[in-house]
Amino acid sequence: MSKQVTRREFLNLLGAAGGTAAALKAGSALGLLPHTAQAATVDLHAANPANRKVAILGAGLSGLTVAYELSKVGYECTILESSHRPGGRIFTVRHGDLIDEIGNRQYCEFDDEPHMYFNAGAARIPSTHRNLLAYCKELKIDLEVFINENKTTFMQDSAVNGGKPIRNIDYTTHTRGFLAELLAKSLSAGEMDEPFTDAEAETLMSLIRSFGDLNEDNLYKGSLRAGYASGGFLEHGVQKDIIAMSELLKTQMGNQFLNANEGDTGPMLFQAVGGMDKIIEGFTNHVGHQIHYRSMVNAVEVKDDGIDIAYYQDGTRHLLQADFCFNCIPSHIMTGITNNFPTQYVDALKYIRRGTAYKAAFQAKERFWEKEDIYGGISWMSSPSKQIWYPSAGMHKQKGIILGAYDYIDGELHTARTQEQRIEAHLTDGEKIHPNYRNQVEKPITIAWHRMNHMLGCSARWQRDRNAWTHEEEELYHALQQPVNGRHYMIGDQVSMHSAWQESAVMSAQWAMADLNQQLLA
Amino acid sequence: MLKTFMAFSLCMACIGGTSAAESEREPFDDRYCTTCHGTDGRGNEGVQAPRLAGMEPWYLRRQLENFRGDIRGVHAEDREGIAMRPMATKLTDESIDDILGWISSWDYIPAEATVKGGDPLRGRDLYSGCAVCHGADATGNESLGAPALAGQNDWYLVTQLKNFLAGYRGAHPNDTYGAQMRTMVSTLRNEAGILNVVSYINSLSR
Ligand SMILES: Cc1cc2nc3c(=O)[nH]c(=O)nc-3n(C[C@H](O)[C@H](O)[C@H](O)COP(=O)(O)OP(=O)(O)OC[C@H]3O[C@@H](n4cnc5c(N)ncnc54)[C@H](O)[C@@H]3O)c2cc1C
Repeated sequence: MSKQVTRREFLNLLGAAGGTAAALKAGSALGLLPHTAQAATVDLHAANPANRKVAILGAGLSGLTVAYELSKVGYECTILESSHRPGGRIFTVRHGDLIDEIGNRQYCEFDDEPHMYFNAGAARIPSTHRNLLAYCKELKIDLEVFINENKTTFMQDSAVNGGKPIRNIDYTTHTRGFLAELLAKSLSAGEMDEPFTDAEAETLMSLIRSFGDLNEDNLYKGSLRAGYASGGFLEHGVQKDIIAMSELLKTQMGNQFLNANEGDTGPMLFQAVGGMDKIIEGFTNHVGHQIHYRSMVNAVEVKDDGIDIAYYQDGTRHLLQADFCFNCIPSHIMTGITNNFPTQYVDALKYIRRGTAYKAAFQAKERFWEKEDIYGGISWMSSPSKQIWYPSAGMHKQKGIILGAYDYIDGELHTARTQEQRIEAHLTDGEKIHPNYRNQVEKPITIAWHRMNHMLGCSARWQRDRNAWTHEEEELYHALQQPVNGRHYMIGDQVSMHSAWQESAVMSAQWAMADLNQQLLA
Repeated sequence: MLKTFMAFSLCMACIGGTSAAESEREPFDDRYCTTCHGTDGRGNEGVQAPRLAGMEPWYLRRQLENFRGDIRGVHAEDREGIAMRPMATKLTDESIDDILGWISSWDYIPAEATVKGGDPLRGRDLYSGCAVCHGADATGNESLGAPALAGQNDWYLVTQLKNFLAGYRGAHPNDTYGAQMRTMVSTLRNEAGILNVVSYINSLSR
């Protein structure tokens, strides 16, 4: 580091950090998290025999939720799904599966074993997503813990530590030590303790000390929390060398470690045993017979006495007439489907931007990470592949599937590349963390959601400014949530203020069904 | 779930490999167009994919071949072209024939005008240069290789004119017609010129 940080600068920094935390709290944790106070299957009235035909467009999670609930109370549901498979963005890839990326079709060549799967879309279920979890319980879907943060995983950035990967445990232990020492100095210098009573100041100091594992002089001199350089069991443990703060400050990659257990990924996380699509299977066990696959919706006409849906199946145009329609077709695809929706509704559909998430995975010939004490969790890198996920299940088996790249925010770079270029980039990036990576992995698959047939995107992006919704955006959102003529509901996580979560898809479906119920009672 | 679907034998052949399990694998063909280009290829503003219904088969073929041959959709700023190119790269001559046949089976319905802010009167003057190839009524001229413009999605025309003007399209040495377009489009000068000429084209019906 070229210059030392004065206390004043440090306190300013603290102010900035407070600002970020506050913004985070307001923006995501409080404002945007859907209220999950009441986990519920919706309480619906029995269908009126004269008004019981329902068309569901898209066999995404929200569409299946509607089919499942409405079938329970006597509605006659028909689900039109343009793909060959149900589940949309809940997509578990296994041996032999087709990955229908436009311009880059692949078949998955993973070994045919139950633990050899990859969740190419949804992968984590927070314990606070009660509505989704309620369905998992009702549909008897086995869950297991998803390991999101693991202290033995790595971060890697060529700018720091000579490019050598640093373990999460080293980064977090030292960073906390340094932060605590700085705080302790400020507090003892008397400037910061002014607003505190003696008792508070004492508690605060003890908190700071324990946060950073400071010694009795309030200095950070390394910590056994980072594990041992050697020994520790039959011999005395030897403390690891400290990585200097000036070194750690060369990267911002460590933010990933400090964020890992915050926000949506703060609660305990789960995954469905054997793949996230077990959730979809739970629904299709009940409503699978209602799905028409490879049936592409082509026109939606809302009328006074019903709703007409035109669709193509087997090269022929068909007509489906229904009383009500629930539609989870992605907004940016719906804008290309002939319809007679009101202008503001169409404007809302057009307003939403589509996400560009990208994932890639490899089959590992052996579980090399376990030899490095890694069982589950995520390694982070500054290079474009960004993340490596080690599987949360299948411990100690011979092989496993690892995620070799995940860019949730901007997958365009990978998307624009050929399959060969994508894979080569992930190998090159992975080698920086695991030197023998290239030889240890095989059978790659890549999924650019922006190009997946029938999806053409990841999660809906309503906000142009990620910190706040504008008034116009809120109006469009509410316009899209309301039914057209009381008959056509858009659903899916796209009709929520917290897209990219299964919970939001479920809740949008529940909202729409509750609204219909209300309407029919009135 | 594995539904039988019209899979053409020629496309099945291009899957490659002869693994025993192949027969159990989900079949596919190259008829992807409507996912992006919308109902009967009428265009989808949501993903900026233009209207294909009503486009001349000779023009479609040339563009598919340009995409496939890395002549179009290669400039880093040509976002929509970049999205299209990988699709075309995979096409065989036979699947191009098949797609053109499929497209010609769709009804042509002219696109609605969406572009605001242009002055059609000024646009009419500017259009006189375009009319030489594309025709006074913008219905195109096959012998000059100029496609119809009337009835096309106006947002698509705007994007393409901007791309020609900026050199994102038409700059490839093998893009003969693109080079002509680049020369002509320079007379529109800027975005205002483009909006004017497109709003004039909107006033021509086909
Ligand atoms: C990379 C990635 C990571 C994610 N991670 C998580 C996670 O960890 N945890 C979590 O909870 N959620 C996650 N999500 C989000 C979650 O997958 C979605 O919120 C949820 O699956 C959306 O469901 P949906 O009902 O909105 O329908 P979608 O899944 O969007 O389904 C839409 C359906 O419509 C069909 N369709 C499209 N066009 C037509 C047509 N013309 N006619 C008929 N059908 C059509 C599609 O084929 C598809 O089946 C992730 C998503 C992605 C992509």
